Amino acid sequence: MEFKDKRIIVTGGTRGIGKSIALSFAHEGAWVAANYSSDDESAATTEKELARVTPNFRIFKADVSSRSDVEKMIKTIIDEWEHVDILVNNAGIINDKLLMFLNEDDWERVIDVNLKGTYLFSRAIIKTMIGRKFGRIINITSPSALQGRAGQTNYAASKGGIISFTKSLAKEMARLGITVNAVSPGVITTPMTANLNQEIKCDITDRIPMRRLGRPEEVAAAVLFLASPEAAYITGQILAVDGGLT
Amino acid sequence: MENTVKNTVQLREFLKKMIIDTLLLEDITVAEIENNAPLFREGLGLDSIDALELVVAIEKKFNIIIEDEDVGKTAFASISALAKFIQDGFQPVH
Repeated sequence: MEFKDKRIIVTGGTRGIGKSIALSFAHEGAWVAANYSSDDESAATTEKELARVTPNFRIFKADVSSRSDVEKMIKTIIDEWEHVDILVNNAGIINDKLLMFLNEDDWERVIDVNLKGTYLFSRAIIKTMIGRKFGRIINITSPSALQGRAGQTNYAASKGGIISFTKSLAKEMARLGITVNAVSPGVITTPMTANLNQEIKCDITDRIPMRRLGRPEEVAAAVLFLASPEAAYITGQILAVDGGLT
Repeated sequence: MENTVKNTVQLREFLKKMIIDTLLLEDITVAEIENNAPLFREGLGLDSIDALELVVAIEKKFNIIIEDEDVGKTAFASISALAKFIQDGFQPVH
């Protein structure tokens, strides 16, 4: 029970990688708060799964790009749980289009959810972490951030921004007992990739040195490591969990 | 009037102790911190990261919010300025 009674927030924690992170922390004794934006069905399923593991969890319907939603959620958590130890900025969306067809809304929505959401949550919890001189912030980025990918100018820019944000905030917080790192998952088996047809799956798998997609639990394991006491001297780093892709 | 001065003196002493305790300034005593000397750089030698810790400590103790960096810079100019900022914060708005 490495994270017994630690208070964790996982944004976008009711589906895919985020859900796996939330459940992994819960299995280790943590109190887990997760939010989702619109998929009530997945949230209800995750709620049931968390309830089987711990009584200490909360699910919020909150838009990570809305300052009022984020501040309301954080206030509720701090009022009830007193503080937050670990924040995992996982919530993210894609809206892939070639730049020529990428309109302003397509651009802004992806940047708002992925990058602004990371900023809003980090800012909202930072004072409680500074006050206790302890905190772990783990952001989720992507191989697209540094490698680029056709059709992902918006997504790659948002994830590149998260890397820069991670490195800068790490330097601000280093002296205060707060580490800030990022995990960069490659292609992971999630509902998103489950819908790809077999031909595309084979094509993707061929490009991964390990010749297989990653599992959400493998990403969660990296997040839990960075959140653990053993990782206390690691900050400002990007840990790839991608089967050798990058 | 005397009561106000006494409170201000006490508040300044309290703030000096709070700064020393919050930032673990082992080499400095309350008596060594001058009321009007700058807290940052050439004064006590504090930096912007120290300021983050102080802002959080002051907010918690006095139940005030410092969101704006410029407001923070003015408030943390010196012990006197900080005491005044906190006292002003308690005054009812007319």
